Amino acid sequence: MNSVPWKSGLWRLVRNAVLIAILASALGLALNSRLLWKVLTGRAVVASQTSPERGAEVALPLPVELEEVRELLGGNALLIDARTRDAYLEGHLPGARSLPRGANDEQLEIFHRQVPPDRPLIIYCSGYGCPDSFVLAERLLADGYRDVRVYEGGLPEWADAGLPVERGQR
Amino acid sequence: MRFDRILFQVCRQTLGGIFLYAGLIKAQDVVAFAGSVANYQIPFLSYQLNYLVAASLPYIEMAAGLLLLINRQVRPAALLLGVLDIIFMVALVSVLIRGLDIDCGCFRPGGEGHTTAQVALLRDVGFLALAAVTFFQPSWKKP
Repeated sequence: MNSVPWKSGLWRLVRNAVLIAILASALGLALNSRLLWKVLTGRAVVASQTSPERGAEVALPLPVELEEVRELLGGNALLIDARTRDAYLEGHLPGARSLPRGANDEQLEIFHRQVPPDRPLIIYCSGYGCPDSFVLAERLLADGYRDVRVYEGGLPEWADAGLPVERGQR
Repeated sequence: MRFDRILFQVCRQTLGGIFLYAGLIKAQDVVAFAGSVANYQIPFLSYQLNYLVAASLPYIEMAAGLLLLINRQVRPAALLLGVLDIIFMVALVSVLIRGLDIDCGCFRPGGEGHTTAQVALLRDVGFLALAAVTFFQPSWKKP
């Protein structure tokens, strides 16, 4: 092997490293193809977590951008924080109400009593890739709320835009 | 066995073990790991790309770690992990600069343990040293 010029040795090294990366990635993508397909076709994480298919007309929450959120808040839309209670107390969007993704029946019942089903809801959690807002949105849609939207950018995007964050109880 | 041979063997196996473990644990919950990736708020990583990274990165870590452990393709695997490690460090430095308070998501995504960017960065310096020793082992010859 000593006769191999240094450069061609290096070239083979890099080529093998790239090859390992490509083959391993291909394996990972293949093994996760079902999940990735859902993500790429916009059905995100929710599909894997709601087991029974409830027919084609199942309503999906509408994604909204930061600008739309600000416009909707000018109306009577209600912001909902789907993260844990602790995360909510540490900081949330101004005026947001806490309803954790894992809320129990009692918490949901109180929510139903206080919020009419025709009130527009905007649900958020800790940004892109966090499934809580989708899961909660599907639950509320199934419970009869008609206008349920998910703000995917969530608290991180809101705070990054320099908008105010509220702390503590509400 | 000479000291540098022992050092090389220890570095190779430690590095391999760590990355095999890191990959295994993340591969089990791709959705949570995609969330960890999203927390870094890297501008060119869209929502979908976060998932592509989350699905492939653990397998690269596992493959390179496994190759180091079974003593095959040692230099390419060490090179790959070194490059990955540098990418991680760049991401962590950008987290520090932007002042984001996130968990590094290096091992257990979405877990209770909160590893700050500083700690993760220090750890990555260590991994990089292991990768360098493994890669630059002067008396390295194919078995």
